[in-house]
Amino acid sequence: MNKNLFIKELKGNAFSLLMWTMVITVLISLTMSVYGTFLENNSKILAIMSILPEGALQFKGISNVDDLFSVLGFYTANNVIYMLVLGSIYAIVLSSNILIKEEYNKTAEYLLSWPLTRSGIFFSKAAVVFLNVIILNTVTALAGFIGMEIVQREPYSVRAFLILSLYTLLLNLLFGTIGLFMSTLVKRSKPITTLSIGLVLILYFTDTLSKITDSLSKIGYLSPFKFVNVDTVNPEYGLEFMNLLYFFGLSLILTILSYRLYKRKDIYL
Amino acid sequence: MSIPVIDIRDLTKTYGRARGIEQVNLEVEEGDVFGFIGPNGAGKSTTIRVLLNLIFPTRGEASIMGMDIVRDSKKIKLSTGYVPSDANQYSSMDVDEFLGYCNGFYRTGNGAARIIELSELFELDRKRKISDLSMGNRKKVSIIQSLLHTPRLLILDEATMGLDPLMQARFFELLRSENRKGMTIFFSSHTLSEVQLLCKRVAIIKEGRIIKVEDIETLRKRQLKKIHIEFAEKADNGIAGLGGIENTPVVSGKTLQFMYSGDINDLVIKLRDEQIADLTIEEPSLEEIFMHYYN
Repeated sequence: MNKNLFIKELKGNAFSLLMWTMVITVLISLTMSVYGTFLENNSKILAIMSILPEGALQFKGISNVDDLFSVLGFYTANNVIYMLVLGSIYAIVLSSNILIKEEYNKTAEYLLSWPLTRSGIFFSKAAVVFLNVIILNTVTALAGFIGMEIVQREPYSVRAFLILSLYTLLLNLLFGTIGLFMSTLVKRSKPITTLSIGLVLILYFTDTLSKITDSLSKIGYLSPFKFVNVDTVNPEYGLEFMNLLYFFGLSLILTILSYRLYKRKDIYL
Repeated sequence: MSIPVIDIRDLTKTYGRARGIEQVNLEVEEGDVFGFIGPNGAGKSTTIRVLLNLIFPTRGEASIMGMDIVRDSKKIKLSTGYVPSDANQYSSMDVDEFLGYCNGFYRTGNGAARIIELSELFELDRKRKISDLSMGNRKKVSIIQSLLHTPRLLILDEATMGLDPLMQARFFELLRSENRKGMTIFFSSHTLSEVQLLCKRVAIIKEGRIIKVEDIETLRKRQLKKIHIEFAEKADNGIAGLGGIENTPVVSGKTLQFMYSGDINDLVIKLRDEQIADLTIEEPSLEEIFMHYYN
C-alpha cells in the first residue's frame, strides 16, 4: 500500500463516485416516494399483476403479489435493479480501468519509474475500489432506509433490510474483483468498459432467465446474482453460509490471482 | 574495480514473434555519460523498459548499482531518474500537482526546493494545466520529475525531443554539471549530433543487438576516413581491390568515394600512378560512421 498513490486515486475517482451515488440515491428516493400512491391504487395494481405470468415477479424477489405492498417488499422489488445492477456496473467499470488506465493513458512509464512496488500499486488501487464500493453502498442503503422510514405504514424487519444491504455490498465487491481480474488478463492497452458492463448485464439476465424458466434453473449458478437472496419478506430470511462462502471465497481468489498476474505483467504502452 | 552502475548480462526480451532485444551486454561505469544510439525500433526503449522493470526479461539478467532489476526494482528507483520518450503525464493535474505527486514517492527532503529551482531554470509555469502544455513544456516537466530527488543514475530516452535549442543547451549544461557532481547518465537517442556533444562512451544497437561499444573519440578517430577521389580521365575501378575499403565504392563519372580503414600509405602508393584531379581525405561525421555500421 502506498499512501501517496492511494490518496491520488481516491481524489481522481471522487467525482465519479459522487455522481453514481447521487444518481442511485435519487432513483431510490423517487421510487420510495411513489409507495403511498402505489398502496392507494392497490386494486388496480392487483388486477394488472394477475395477468402477469407466474414467476415474472420472482426474479425481483417477490414470490407473492401481496408482498409488494409491504414497504420492504416494495423497496426490494424496485431497488434490485438500481443497487444490485447499477452498483455492480459502477464497481466493475471502476475496477477494470483503475490499473490499465495507466497503460492506455500512457502514464505507466512515469508511475513505474517511481519507487513503488507492483504490490504497492495493486493494493493501493484495489483498496480504492473496495473503499469506493463500500461508500456507494453505505450512502445508497442509508437513502433507502430513510426512504422506508418516511413512507412506511406498518413495521418492517430492519434486520432483513440490513441483510439485503450486505448481500448487495458483497455482490458489488465481487464485481470489483472480477474487474481487477479482467484487466490483468488483457494484453492490449485499451479500456474494457463496454465488455465490463456487458458482463454484468449478461450475468443479470442469466439469473433472471433461470428464475422464470424452470428448464433453465441450473444456469443461474453461473451468475453471482443467483447467490444474492432477495426474499426479504420471508420470515425465515437470513444470511446463508454457502452464499457468504461463495462471495468471500470467489472475491478472495480473484484478488489473489489478479495480484499474482499484475506482479508479473509486462506493461506496454 | 567498482561495481558498474548499469550491468547488463546476456539480456534477451522477446515478444511473441516480434523482435525485442537479443543477448544485450553492457556495462556503464559510475560517472559515465553513456550514449545509446540506434534507429527507431532497434531496441533502445525495450532495453530501458527492462531495466526499469516495466517488462520482464525473457533471459539474462541485469543490475543497477549492484541491485537486481527485478527483485530490487523499488530500491533502484529511489536513486534513479527517468525521462521517457513517449509517455503522458496525468492530464487532469497542473504542473505543480504532478511534480508534487511525483515528489511524494521519494523520501528526500529537498524535492520541493528542487522543483522550484528547476522550473525557474527551464522557465516553466507551474500553474499551467498539463493538458494545456506544448510538447516542449511537457518535456521540461518530465525532466524536472526525473531530477527532483537528485538521482545517482539518470536514464534519458529521446530526452531533447520538443525542446527548443536554447532549452536544449540549458539542459545539456545542467546534465554536465550534475555529471561533475557524480551523476551517471544513460543517454538514449537516435540523433548522433547530440550524443556526440554530451557522451564519453557510446553503444550502437541494431535490430536488437549491440553491435559496438566504444569511446566516442575512438569511434571517430578509429582510422575510418572518408575518401573522395576525382580522376582526370575516368574513375579507376582497379582501386577497389585495395584492402581496407569498408564499403562498396560509389562511382559517378570521374569521381570515386568510399570509407577507408586501411593504411593510408597503401592508398597513396596505389594512387601514385593515377592522374588525379582532386583528392580529399576527411574525418567522417559520427552520422556517417554510424550509417557505416548499419550497412
